[in-house]
Amino acid sequence: MTARDPDSPSDDARADGTTTDATTDDSPTHDAAAGSDEIETRVGLRYTLRQVKRDTTARIGIYTVGFVTFVAVLASIDYYVFDYAVAEAVWYSPVSDPEEVQRLLPPVFMENQFGTGVLEHPMGTDHRGRDIFVRLFYGTRIAITVGFMATGIGLGGGTLIGAVSGYYGGWIDDVLQRVTETVYAIPFLVLVIAFMTAFGRDLTFAMIGVGITSIPVFNRLIRSRVVSVREEDYIEAARAAGVKDRNIILRHVIPNSFAPVLVQATLQIGVSILIVAGLSFLGFGAQPPTPSWGQMLSASRNYMLPAPTFSLFPGIAILVTVVGFNILGDGLQDALDPRINN
Amino acid sequence: MSDPLLSVENLKTQFFTEDGTVRAVDGISFDVHEGEIVGLVGESGAGKSVATSSLLRLVDSPGEIVGGEVTFKGRTLFGLEEDANGDLRPRDDMLSEEEMRREIRGREIAIIFQDPMESLNPVFTVGGQLREFIELNRDLSEEEAKREAIDMLREVGIPAPETRYDEYPHQFSGGMRQRVLIAMALACQPDLIIADEPTTALDVTVEGQILAMVEELQRKYDTSFVWVTHDMSVVAEICDRVNVMYLGEIIEHATVDDLFYDTKHPYTRALLDSMPRPDETVHELNPIRGVMPEAIDPPSGCRFHPRCPDGREVCREVHPEPRDLAEAGEPTHRAACVKYDAFDVGYDESRPLEADVTGGFDAGLTETGGDE
Amino acid sequence: MGLLRYTLWRFAQSIPVLIGIITITFFLANQIPGDPVEIMLGPSPAQEQVEAIQARYGLDRPAHERYLTYLAGVATGDLGWSIYYDRPVLEMILLRLPVTMYLTVSAFAFAIVTAIPLGVLSAKRRNEPADHVSRVVSLVGVSTPSFWIGLMLIIVFAFHLGWFPARGLPLPWASPADVRGASTQVEVVRTSLYHLAMPMVALGTLQMAQITRIERSSMVDSLQGEYVKLARAYGVPESTIVRKHAFQVAQLPVITIVGLGLSTALGGAVLTETVFEIQGMGRLIITAINNQDYELIMGTTFMFGVAFVVGVIITDIAYAYIDPRVTYGDEA
Repeated sequence: MTARDPDSPSDDARADGTTTDATTDDSPTHDAAAGSDEIETRVGLRYTLRQVKRDTTARIGIYTVGFVTFVAVLASIDYYVFDYAVAEAVWYSPVSDPEEVQRLLPPVFMENQFGTGVLEHPMGTDHRGRDIFVRLFYGTRIAITVGFMATGIGLGGGTLIGAVSGYYGGWIDDVLQRVTETVYAIPFLVLVIAFMTAFGRDLTFAMIGVGITSIPVFNRLIRSRVVSVREEDYIEAARAAGVKDRNIILRHVIPNSFAPVLVQATLQIGVSILIVAGLSFLGFGAQPPTPSWGQMLSASRNYMLPAPTFSLFPGIAILVTVVGFNILGDGLQDALDPRINN
Repeated sequence: MSDPLLSVENLKTQFFTEDGTVRAVDGISFDVHEGEIVGLVGESGAGKSVATSSLLRLVDSPGEIVGGEVTFKGRTLFGLEEDANGDLRPRDDMLSEEEMRREIRGREIAIIFQDPMESLNPVFTVGGQLREFIELNRDLSEEEAKREAIDMLREVGIPAPETRYDEYPHQFSGGMRQRVLIAMALACQPDLIIADEPTTALDVTVEGQILAMVEELQRKYDTSFVWVTHDMSVVAEICDRVNVMYLGEIIEHATVDDLFYDTKHPYTRALLDSMPRPDETVHELNPIRGVMPEAIDPPSGCRFHPRCPDGREVCREVHPEPRDLAEAGEPTHRAACVKYDAFDVGYDESRPLEADVTGGFDAGLTETGGDE
Repeated sequence: MGLLRYTLWRFAQSIPVLIGIITITFFLANQIPGDPVEIMLGPSPAQEQVEAIQARYGLDRPAHERYLTYLAGVATGDLGWSIYYDRPVLEMILLRLPVTMYLTVSAFAFAIVTAIPLGVLSAKRRNEPADHVSRVVSLVGVSTPSFWIGLMLIIVFAFHLGWFPARGLPLPWASPADVRGASTQVEVVRTSLYHLAMPMVALGTLQMAQITRIERSSMVDSLQGEYVKLARAYGVPESTIVRKHAFQVAQLPVITIVGLGLSTALGGAVLTETVFEIQGMGRLIITAINNQDYELIMGTTFMFGVAFVVGVIITDIAYAYIDPRVTYGDEA
């Protein structure tokens, strides 16, 4: 699902959803031989969940991430299904200017030169008189979408390149690694900015750009796993038994890399959210009036002296979300790596 | 006989883990006299390494020495007493941590670890590490310590020691590194060296060379050794007296000749049968049945009874302490097995254990890997 | 000797990467929609004016030709012409690069100086309160956007407490004439440091947190190493073990992380420079993009790549210097 300008037609989302499903169905994972795959992955997943339940840190991470994701889902429901109805009913619209604007109100119980905080706007209002809390609520949707999508792109691309590179070795490996190395050599924020300048400044390209720059991370991870697994006896056995290379990668190597990839992906979601917030802050990504956290912070810069809380809350939202993913990633690592458990 | 150099009484070291208390060393006693090489033998996990670290009080958390007494040259390395409330506390004459570090570790008792590949610090030169320890433990100047280090490297058979002094560990082979570690121990001129499976990681020819070298140097410097190993052939080659450990306990103690030719404990017997011997032609090696149980939940009675070919019902109930079974006038030969009359707990009348008691251990491989 | 050859060899090795960076930036710049000529001359310029401009900047030639020309130019130190500033790109970069380097290097210095003691302490007192505090600090540090830290610092320390200035970053070696409120060089340095404090912390916090994390885990590993056990068994004081035996080995992964963190930090410099209105490379690239100044975009992107590559080479050399197992290049 692509996060978009709130004014764009909402049925795009459904179209997007179907496309994603179709791609998955076509992918080689789901061919006739997919049965064993599924079992292995599921075992991995169930094992992971059991481990996570036992690890306090991971549990805190799960709760935080779960909460933020839940908020994002709620915001999406209100946005797509009720067309801001719920938010409108409770608070002023996050997008349009209301008739009687109360600009830059402080949070409830506080006071500033523009007035006294009211319960109606628990976190105050922004420079257009829009409710900050509601905008944060909608911003969650963008942050979460962006985090998952960008990481998904990086994970997909990185896994593909890493697996091919590590499995075949030789010149294929050389070429692919040189290319990813080069991509990695440009500081990624700069690269994404250049990329967005070339292709488009909106959120979609921010996600794609951040996704592309995270390819080297997953590539490195998968490639090193593939190289080490390649030498293992059971792979030799599979090859000797005439199993096709592609199937060996899909059925043995990839499932075997499940744990470290999951950890890395979780951490990468946090990183992606941070980068996209930074991009929006610079004016690349979500464009006004879309309520994205980074863009809210960008707008707040002009009002730091009279209304400092305007700058405070979006940052806290980012912080809490990213902390959640980082705790979850760390917890997963502890839970899945018995070596550290002592 | 004169007072022993090192005497260990009823030493107990336990690890307090989430899954429960592991009694890694459970009341062992032995001593070492001047100029002696005393063996400590057993399978992996018997508690040998924990025992040796306990001697120097180097047990890492969650491990802790919980009881017993270690005396070295009349000084108390470890000793507890009961206070008025009946709680255990360190005795007044027990050396402080600082005294252990300054006066005992390296200076009086040096240690050679099992893994020569990991024991040297990869980012410092071999000579530098040697020199540091010599400087520290013999109060020499940097210059003198360096000269001493080079001499010692030559002594342990490292060619061109002046050049090798400035090289890094990765430039040395495994055997060479073990020689460096031996040089390190000897160069500090301690009275006792604890060798914790020093040849396990090496291949057999190198092992032979090192053992020969140690014997020669031991005679030259008259240093005592506690030699930890799982390898009976090493014991035969190098030790004067031997202690056999099983699951945290010493179950047999004898001179090396008595141990090999007058074996008392069925476990020792089994260990000997599981290895080839130069002095006997055997047609088939007999691996010990089963694997050693975890020290966290040791079997009742005699801990070896589930694997013992001589096991009887009584073995399941009676926990034997080692007793001296030697004839009068002969050197001490202690063993902890109730089949000997000295124990008199009704072994002869007891029924042999059912075969199915050991059925669970049909995997039947003796585990002799070096790590524990 | 070996180290010098290794350095040269590492530089030579990175030439393909640099060419790769140029290729990527050239490709991206070529995709940028819009016509620079139009931007320069307004909506309806005269035909001959357009042709003159096109000829001057080589816009009339095919892309591959321009690529080769550009590549040859870079090889000879000519990064092209900035249409917006009407000056050579290299000149603009040389003007702005020192500020960004000053900021980035200071941020790393801040990060390393705070992170290493924190990480070591954390490892030494594992699972004790000090460790928990340090872990929470580093967790929050890696999760906080650097630009938001900047905003918060400005609100608190510039607006409310008035301790530090909120914008600008004069270089310590700038002439007193160019720095407001400074008449001697000492005052320039002082002013510069005052301006540096907040952006340095904003940019350095993420690095600090990351280095603390890796320092901790690396020290924990190292303190469990056999060589530490050996040193303890030979009566080496615990402080020496931490400071020397365990520490040096533990720095190897830290060096790697510092090198890779440079990528984040250089990107973060763009944000930090925006927050504190510092005229460095970050602002330069944003200005270039907003004005569709192709050659300036390519030049600045390329220089960011170069800065990162040089940084990685420096960390490689530091690694090789500390770790004797690294063979110096040619025989590897």
